Amino acid sequence: MTDNKEKKPEWLKVKYNGAAVREVAEMMKGMGLNTVCREANCPNIGECFASRTATFMILGDKCTRDCRFCSVAHGLPLPPDPDEPPSVAKAVKKLGLGHAVVTMVTRDDLPDGGAGHFAAIIDEIRRVNPNITVEALISDLKGDERSIDVMLEARPDILGHNVETISRLYSSVRLGAEYERSLGVLRYAKEKRPDIYTKTGFMVGLGETDDEIMSLLRDVRKTGCDIVTIGQYLRPSEAHVPLDRYVTPEQFSKYEIQAKKLGFTGVVSSPLARSSYHAAKSFSETANN
Amino acid sequence: MKKNIAMPALKPDMKEGILCRWNVEAGDSVSAGDVIYEVETDKVVAEIEADSSGTISDIFVEEGDAVEPGTVLAQIETDDIV
Repeated sequence: MTDNKEKKPEWLKVKYNGAAVREVAEMMKGMGLNTVCREANCPNIGECFASRTATFMILGDKCTRDCRFCSVAHGLPLPPDPDEPPSVAKAVKKLGLGHAVVTMVTRDDLPDGGAGHFAAIIDEIRRVNPNITVEALISDLKGDERSIDVMLEARPDILGHNVETISRLYSSVRLGAEYERSLGVLRYAKEKRPDIYTKTGFMVGLGETDDEIMSLLRDVRKTGCDIVTIGQYLRPSEAHVPLDRYVTPEQFSKYEIQAKKLGFTGVVSSPLARSSYHAAKSFSETANN
Repeated sequence: MKKNIAMPALKPDMKEGILCRWNVEAGDSVSAGDVIYEVETDKVVAEIEADSSGTISDIFVEEGDAVEPGTVLAQIETDDIV
Protein backbone atom coordinates (compact mmCIF):
# COMPACT_ATOMS: atom_id res chain seq x y z
CA MET A 1 0.00 0.00 0.00
CA THR A 2 1.22 3.49 -0.69
CA ASP A 3 0.65 6.49 1.46
CA ASN A 4 -0.85 9.86 0.53
CA LYS A 5 2.33 11.49 1.79
CA GLU A 6 4.49 9.45 -0.58
CA LYS A 7 5.97 11.46 -3.42
CA LYS A 8 3.55 11.63 -6.36
CA PRO A 9 4.79 10.19 -9.64
CA GLU A 10 5.92 12.73 -12.20
CA TRP A 11 2.96 11.88 -14.51
CA LEU A 12 0.43 13.04 -11.93
CA LYS A 13 0.92 16.72 -12.63
CA VAL A 14 -1.97 18.94 -13.61
CA LYS A 15 -2.25 22.57 -14.67
CA TYR A 16 -4.35 24.86 -12.51
CA ASN A 17 -5.50 28.29 -13.54
CA GLY A 18 -7.15 29.87 -10.52
CA ALA A 19 -8.97 32.60 -12.45
CA ALA A 20 -10.56 30.09 -14.87
CA VAL A 21 -11.60 27.75 -12.08
CA ARG A 22 -13.11 30.61 -10.06
CA GLU A 23 -15.05 31.87 -13.08
CA VAL A 24 -16.76 28.54 -13.81
CA ALA A 25 -17.17 27.62 -10.13
CA GLU A 26 -18.83 30.96 -9.34
CA MET A 27 -21.12 30.70 -12.34
CA MET A 28 -22.27 27.24 -11.22
CA LYS A 29 -22.69 28.36 -7.63
CA GLY A 30 -24.68 31.39 -8.75
CA MET A 31 -27.04 29.10 -10.66
CA GLY A 32 -27.37 26.71 -7.72
CA LEU A 33 -25.66 23.89 -9.63
CA ASN A 34 -23.18 21.24 -8.59
CA THR A 35 -20.39 19.79 -10.66
CA VAL A 36 -18.76 16.45 -10.06
CA CYS A 37 -15.54 18.30 -10.83
CA ARG A 38 -15.78 20.16 -7.51
CA GLU A 39 -17.73 17.67 -5.41
CA ALA A 40 -15.50 14.73 -6.26
CA ASN A 41 -12.30 16.83 -6.16
CA CYS A 42 -11.45 15.92 -9.71
CA PRO A 43 -7.75 16.50 -10.43
CA ASN A 44 -8.60 17.69 -13.95
CA ILE A 45 -10.69 20.64 -12.80
CA GLY A 46 -8.01 23.15 -13.82
CA GLU A 47 -7.77 21.78 -17.37
CA CYS A 48 -11.53 21.35 -17.87
CA PHE A 49 -12.71 24.62 -16.31
CA ALA A 50 -10.01 26.52 -18.24
CA SER A 51 -11.52 25.15 -21.45
CA ARG A 52 -15.00 25.92 -20.08
CA THR A 53 -16.02 22.28 -19.78
CA ALA A 54 -17.74 20.88 -16.72
CA THR A 55 -19.71 17.80 -15.74
CA PHE A 56 -22.97 18.58 -14.01
CA MET A 57 -23.84 16.56 -10.95
CA ILE A 58 -27.60 16.54 -10.49
CA LEU A 59 -30.09 15.49 -7.84
CA GLY A 60 -28.20 17.20 -5.04
CA ASP A 61 -24.76 17.10 -3.49
CA LYS A 62 -25.35 14.13 -1.20
CA CYS A 63 -25.24 10.50 -2.29
CA THR A 64 -27.25 7.80 -0.53
CA ARG A 65 -24.33 5.38 -0.89
CA ASP A 66 -20.89 5.59 0.60
CA CYS A 67 -18.35 4.13 -1.80
CA ARG A 68 -15.01 4.07 -0.05
CA PHE A 69 -13.09 5.61 -2.94
CA CYS A 70 -15.41 8.56 -3.53
CA SER A 71 -15.29 12.01 -1.99
CA VAL A 72 -18.84 13.06 -2.80
CA ALA A 73 -20.67 13.65 0.49
CA HIS A 74 -23.13 11.01 1.58
CA GLY A 75 -26.27 11.22 3.66
CA LEU A 76 -29.95 11.88 3.18
CA PRO A 77 -30.38 14.23 0.23
CA LEU A 78 -33.02 16.90 -0.32
CA PRO A 79 -35.94 16.27 -2.71
CA PRO A 80 -35.09 16.95 -6.39
CA ASP A 81 -34.97 20.65 -7.20
CA PRO A 82 -37.61 21.57 -9.82
CA ASP A 83 -35.41 24.51 -10.91
CA GLU A 84 -32.54 22.22 -11.75
CA PRO A 85 -33.62 21.28 -15.34
CA PRO A 86 -33.82 24.90 -16.58
CA SER A 87 -30.67 25.87 -14.67
CA VAL A 88 -28.59 23.05 -16.17
CA ALA A 89 -29.93 23.82 -19.66
CA LYS A 90 -29.04 27.49 -19.22
CA ALA A 91 -25.56 26.70 -17.92
CA VAL A 92 -24.90 24.39 -20.88
CA LYS A 93 -25.79 27.29 -23.17
CA LYS A 94 -23.71 29.77 -21.21
CA LEU A 95 -20.66 27.53 -21.38
CA GLY A 96 -21.26 26.98 -25.09
CA LEU A 97 -20.97 23.20 -24.75
CA GLY A 98 -21.40 21.03 -27.84
CA HIS A 99 -21.46 17.88 -25.74
CA ALA A 100 -23.03 18.02 -22.28
CA VAL A 101 -22.12 15.44 -19.66
CA VAL A 102 -24.50 15.04 -16.77
CA THR A 103 -24.07 12.69 -13.87
CA MET A 104 -26.01 12.05 -10.70
CA VAL A 105 -25.61 11.07 -7.10
CA THR A 106 -27.20 7.71 -6.30
CA ARG A 107 -30.72 8.29 -5.03
CA ASP A 108 -31.85 5.05 -3.42
CA ASP A 109 -34.40 7.15 -1.48
CA LEU A 110 -36.44 7.91 -4.62
CA PRO A 111 -38.78 5.26 -6.08
CA ASP A 112 -37.36 5.75 -9.60
CA GLY A 113 -33.82 6.39 -8.38
CA GLY A 114 -34.05 9.91 -9.83
CA ALA A 115 -34.55 8.74 -13.44
CA GLY A 116 -37.58 10.98 -14.05
CA HIS A 117 -35.73 14.08 -12.90
CA PHE A 118 -32.68 13.12 -14.97
CA ALA A 119 -34.87 12.63 -18.07
CA ALA A 120 -36.45 16.05 -17.51
CA ILE A 121 -32.98 17.58 -17.46
CA ILE A 122 -32.02 15.89 -20.74
CA ASP A 123 -35.27 17.13 -22.33
CA GLU A 124 -34.63 20.68 -21.17
CA ILE A 125 -30.98 20.66 -22.30
CA ARG A 126 -32.12 19.61 -25.77
CA ARG A 127 -34.94 22.17 -25.87
CA VAL A 128 -32.60 25.05 -25.04
CA ASN A 129 -29.60 23.71 -26.98
CA PRO A 130 -31.05 22.02 -30.10
CA ASN A 131 -27.82 20.72 -31.68
CA ILE A 132 -26.26 19.37 -28.53
CA THR A 133 -25.18 15.82 -27.80
CA VAL A 134 -25.88 14.57 -24.29
CA GLU A 135 -24.05 12.01 -22.22
CA ALA A 136 -25.91 10.71 -19.17
CA LEU A 137 -23.85 8.96 -16.53
CA ILE A 138 -26.29 7.17 -14.28
CA SER A 139 -26.20 5.24 -11.02
CA ASP A 140 -27.31 1.59 -11.17
CA LEU A 141 -30.87 2.83 -10.51
CA LYS A 142 -31.11 -0.24 -8.26
CA GLY A 143 -31.14 -2.29 -11.47
CA ASP A 144 -34.78 -1.31 -12.03
CA GLU A 145 -35.64 -1.77 -15.69
CA ARG A 146 -38.53 0.70 -15.60
CA SER A 147 -36.15 3.40 -14.36
CA ILE A 148 -33.60 2.51 -17.05
CA ASP A 149 -36.43 2.70 -19.61
CA VAL A 150 -37.17 6.25 -18.47
CA MET A 151 -33.54 7.15 -19.14
CA LEU A 152 -33.54 5.45 -22.54
CA GLU A 153 -36.75 7.21 -23.56
CA ALA A 154 -34.96 10.53 -22.94
CA ARG A 155 -32.56 9.46 -25.74
CA PRO A 156 -29.16 10.46 -24.43
CA ASP A 157 -26.49 10.01 -27.10
CA ILE A 158 -24.48 8.06 -24.56
CA LEU A 159 -25.78 6.22 -21.53
CA GLY A 160 -22.96 5.65 -19.09
CA HIS A 161 -22.80 3.60 -15.97
CA ASN A 162 -19.49 3.06 -14.20
CA VAL A 163 -18.52 -0.37 -12.95
CA GLU A 164 -15.78 1.44 -10.99
CA THR A 165 -13.73 -1.64 -10.04
CA ILE A 166 -13.32 -5.40 -10.43
CA SER A 167 -15.86 -7.84 -9.05
CA ARG A 168 -13.77 -9.03 -6.07
CA LEU A 169 -13.47 -5.53 -4.60
CA TYR A 170 -17.17 -4.60 -4.66
CA SER A 171 -17.89 -5.81 -1.14
CA SER A 172 -15.03 -3.82 0.34
CA VAL A 173 -15.08 -0.56 -1.63
CA ARG A 174 -18.43 -0.26 -3.42
CA LEU A 175 -20.94 -0.79 -0.67
CA GLY A 176 -24.56 -1.21 -1.75
CA ALA A 177 -23.63 -2.00 -5.34
CA GLU A 178 -23.36 -5.35 -7.11
CA TYR A 179 -21.01 -6.17 -9.96
CA GLU A 180 -23.57 -8.27 -11.83
CA ARG A 181 -26.24 -5.62 -11.38
CA SER A 182 -23.96 -2.96 -12.88
CA LEU A 183 -23.19 -5.23 -15.85
CA GLY A 184 -26.94 -5.83 -16.10
CA VAL A 185 -27.63 -2.09 -16.44
CA LEU A 186 -25.23 -1.85 -19.37
CA ARG A 187 -26.54 -5.07 -20.96
CA TYR A 188 -30.19 -4.09 -20.61
CA ALA A 189 -29.62 -0.61 -22.06
CA LYS A 190 -27.77 -1.97 -25.09
CA GLU A 191 -30.34 -4.71 -25.75
CA LYS A 192 -33.26 -2.31 -25.45
CA ARG A 193 -31.74 0.56 -27.44
CA PRO A 194 -28.77 -0.60 -29.55
CA ASP A 195 -28.68 2.85 -31.17
CA ILE A 196 -27.64 4.50 -27.90
CA TYR A 197 -23.95 4.17 -27.13
CA THR A 198 -23.14 2.68 -23.75
CA LYS A 199 -20.11 3.61 -21.74
CA THR A 200 -18.44 2.55 -18.53
CA GLY A 201 -15.44 3.52 -16.46
CA PHE A 202 -13.27 2.04 -13.78
CA MET A 203 -10.26 2.82 -11.66
CA VAL A 204 -7.02 0.96 -11.16
CA GLY A 205 -4.90 1.09 -8.04
CA LEU A 206 -7.54 -0.22 -5.64
CA GLY A 207 -5.93 -3.65 -5.22
CA GLU A 208 -6.82 -5.41 -8.45
CA THR A 209 -4.41 -7.38 -10.64
CA ASP A 210 -3.90 -6.88 -14.38
CA ASP A 211 -5.51 -10.28 -15.00
CA GLU A 212 -8.59 -9.12 -13.11
CA ILE A 213 -8.64 -5.96 -15.24
CA MET A 214 -8.68 -8.09 -18.39
CA SER A 215 -11.50 -10.16 -16.99
CA LEU A 216 -13.44 -6.97 -16.19
CA LEU A 217 -12.89 -5.62 -19.70
CA ARG A 218 -14.16 -8.90 -21.19
CA ASP A 219 -17.25 -8.90 -18.92
CA VAL A 220 -18.09 -5.31 -19.83
CA ARG A 221 -17.52 -5.82 -23.54
CA LYS A 222 -19.86 -8.83 -23.48
CA THR A 223 -22.70 -6.46 -22.51
CA GLY A 224 -22.18 -4.68 -25.85
CA CYS A 225 -20.59 -1.66 -24.20
CA ASP A 226 -19.01 0.73 -26.71
CA ILE A 227 -16.80 3.06 -24.68
CA VAL A 228 -14.56 2.54 -21.66
CA THR A 229 -12.48 4.87 -19.55
CA ILE A 230 -9.68 3.62 -17.31
CA GLY A 231 -7.98 5.92 -14.80
CA GLN A 232 -5.78 5.88 -11.74
CA TYR A 233 -7.49 5.78 -8.34
CA LEU A 234 -6.30 8.75 -6.31
CA ARG A 235 -7.10 8.60 -2.64
CA PRO A 236 -9.14 11.69 -1.72
CA SER A 237 -8.15 11.61 1.96
CA GLU A 238 -6.87 9.31 4.65
CA ALA A 239 -10.47 8.38 5.44
CA HIS A 240 -10.75 6.68 2.06
CA VAL A 241 -9.59 3.28 0.89
CA PRO A 242 -5.78 3.23 0.63
CA LEU A 243 -4.05 3.39 -2.71
CA ASP A 244 -2.54 0.05 -3.71
CA ARG A 245 -0.32 1.10 -6.60
CA TYR A 246 0.41 3.77 -9.14
CA VAL A 247 0.01 2.34 -12.64
CA THR A 248 2.46 3.72 -15.20
CA PRO A 249 1.33 5.53 -18.36
CA GLU A 250 2.90 2.67 -20.36
CA GLN A 251 0.66 0.15 -18.61
CA PHE A 252 -2.39 2.35 -19.31
CA SER A 253 -1.42 2.25 -22.99
CA LYS A 254 -1.38 -1.56 -22.80
CA TYR A 255 -4.90 -1.54 -21.29
CA GLU A 256 -6.00 0.65 -24.19
CA ILE A 257 -4.60 -1.76 -26.79
CA GLN A 258 -6.27 -4.68 -25.01
CA ALA A 259 -9.60 -2.87 -24.76
CA LYS A 260 -9.52 -2.00 -28.47
CA LYS A 261 -8.73 -5.63 -29.33
CA LEU A 262 -11.85 -6.64 -27.43
CA GLY A 263 -13.90 -4.34 -29.65
CA PHE A 264 -14.46 -1.16 -27.63
CA THR A 265 -14.74 1.67 -30.14
CA GLY A 266 -13.90 4.43 -27.68
CA VAL A 267 -11.14 3.97 -25.10
CA VAL A 268 -9.67 6.61 -22.81
CA SER A 269 -6.96 5.02 -20.68
CA SER A 270 -4.49 7.22 -18.85
CA PRO A 271 -3.57 8.04 -15.25
CA LEU A 272 -5.83 11.10 -15.14
CA ALA A 273 -8.68 9.68 -17.22
CA ARG A 274 -12.06 10.02 -15.53
CA SER A 275 -15.44 8.97 -16.89
CA SER A 276 -16.11 12.36 -18.44
CA TYR A 277 -12.50 13.24 -19.29
CA HIS A 278 -12.26 14.21 -22.98
CA ALA A 279 -15.85 12.94 -23.27
CA ALA A 280 -16.65 14.98 -26.38
CA LYS A 281 -13.59 13.54 -28.15
CA SER A 282 -14.34 9.93 -27.23
CA PHE A 283 -17.97 10.43 -28.31
CA SER A 284 -17.00 11.77 -31.73
CA GLU A 285 -14.44 8.98 -32.21
CA THR A 286 -17.09 6.39 -31.43
CA ALA A 287 -19.79 8.04 -33.51
CA ASN A 288 -17.45 8.30 -36.51
CA ASN A 289 -16.18 4.74 -36.19
CA MET B 1 -0.07 47.54 -8.99
CA LYS B 2 0.96 45.07 -6.31
CA LYS B 3 -1.15 41.92 -5.98
CA ASN B 4 -1.02 39.05 -3.53
CA ILE B 5 -0.52 35.53 -4.78
CA ALA B 6 -2.41 33.30 -2.37
CA MET B 7 -2.64 29.54 -1.88
CA PRO B 8 -5.75 28.45 -3.82
CA ALA B 9 -8.35 26.07 -2.41
CA LEU B 10 -7.80 23.24 -4.84
CA LYS B 11 -10.82 21.46 -3.41
CA PRO B 12 -13.72 22.81 -1.34
CA ASP B 13 -12.59 21.25 1.94
CA MET B 14 -8.85 21.68 1.48
CA LYS B 15 -7.22 22.38 4.83
CA GLU B 16 -3.70 22.93 3.58
CA GLY B 17 -1.51 22.44 0.56
CA ILE B 18 2.22 21.82 0.41
CA LEU B 19 4.10 24.32 -1.70
CA CYS B 20 6.52 21.82 -3.15
CA ARG B 21 8.32 23.94 -5.71
CA TRP B 22 8.83 27.55 -6.76
CA ASN B 23 9.54 28.04 -10.46
CA VAL B 24 10.32 31.74 -9.97
CA GLU B 25 12.43 33.94 -7.73
CA ALA B 26 11.87 37.50 -6.53
CA GLY B 27 12.70 39.81 -9.43
CA ASP B 28 11.60 37.39 -12.15
CA SER B 29 9.20 38.56 -14.85
CA VAL B 30 6.23 36.30 -15.55
CA SER B 31 3.41 36.25 -18.08
CA ALA B 32 -0.17 35.31 -17.29
CA GLY B 33 -0.43 31.55 -17.71
CA ASP B 34 3.18 30.78 -16.74
CA VAL B 35 3.51 28.06 -14.12
CA ILE B 36 4.93 29.90 -11.12
CA TYR B 37 4.75 27.26 -8.39
CA GLU B 38 3.58 23.73 -7.64
CA VAL B 39 1.29 22.56 -4.86
CA GLU B 40 0.97 18.99 -3.71
CA THR B 41 -2.51 17.87 -2.72
CA ASP B 42 -3.79 14.50 -1.54
CA LYS B 43 -4.19 13.44 -5.16
CA VAL B 44 -1.77 15.20 -7.47
CA VAL B 45 0.79 17.94 -7.95
CA ALA B 46 -0.90 21.03 -9.34
CA GLU B 47 1.11 23.45 -11.46
CA ILE B 48 -0.30 26.86 -10.60
CA GLU B 49 -0.42 29.42 -13.37
CA ALA B 50 0.00 33.17 -12.90
CA ASP B 51 -3.27 35.10 -13.18
CA SER B 52 -1.48 38.28 -14.30
CA SER B 53 1.71 39.32 -16.02
CA GLY B 54 4.29 41.25 -14.02
CA THR B 55 7.34 40.94 -11.79
CA ILE B 56 7.50 38.80 -8.66
CA SER B 57 8.41 41.26 -5.91
CA ASP B 58 8.43 39.11 -2.76
CA ILE B 59 8.23 35.44 -1.82
CA PHE B 60 7.06 34.65 1.70
CA VAL B 61 6.69 30.88 1.80
CA GLU B 62 9.43 28.33 1.35
CA GLU B 63 9.37 25.10 -0.60
CA GLY B 64 8.08 22.30 1.62
CA ASP B 65 5.82 24.54 3.72
CA ALA B 66 2.24 23.41 4.27
CA VAL B 67 -0.11 26.39 4.34
CA GLU B 68 -3.84 27.03 4.49
CA PRO B 69 -5.80 28.24 1.46
CA GLY B 70 -5.73 32.03 1.33
CA THR B 71 -2.22 32.29 2.80
CA VAL B 72 -0.23 34.91 0.90
CA LEU B 73 2.65 33.10 -0.77
CA ALA B 74 4.17 35.94 -2.75
CA GLN B 75 3.48 39.33 -4.27
CA ILE B 76 3.55 40.37 -7.88
CA GLU B 77 3.95 43.86 -9.30
CA THR B 78 1.51 43.52 -12.17
CA ASP B 79 1.32 45.31 -15.48
CA ASP B 80 -2.36 46.03 -14.71
CA ILE B 81 -3.18 49.73 -14.43
CA VAL B 82 -6.04 49.35 -11.93
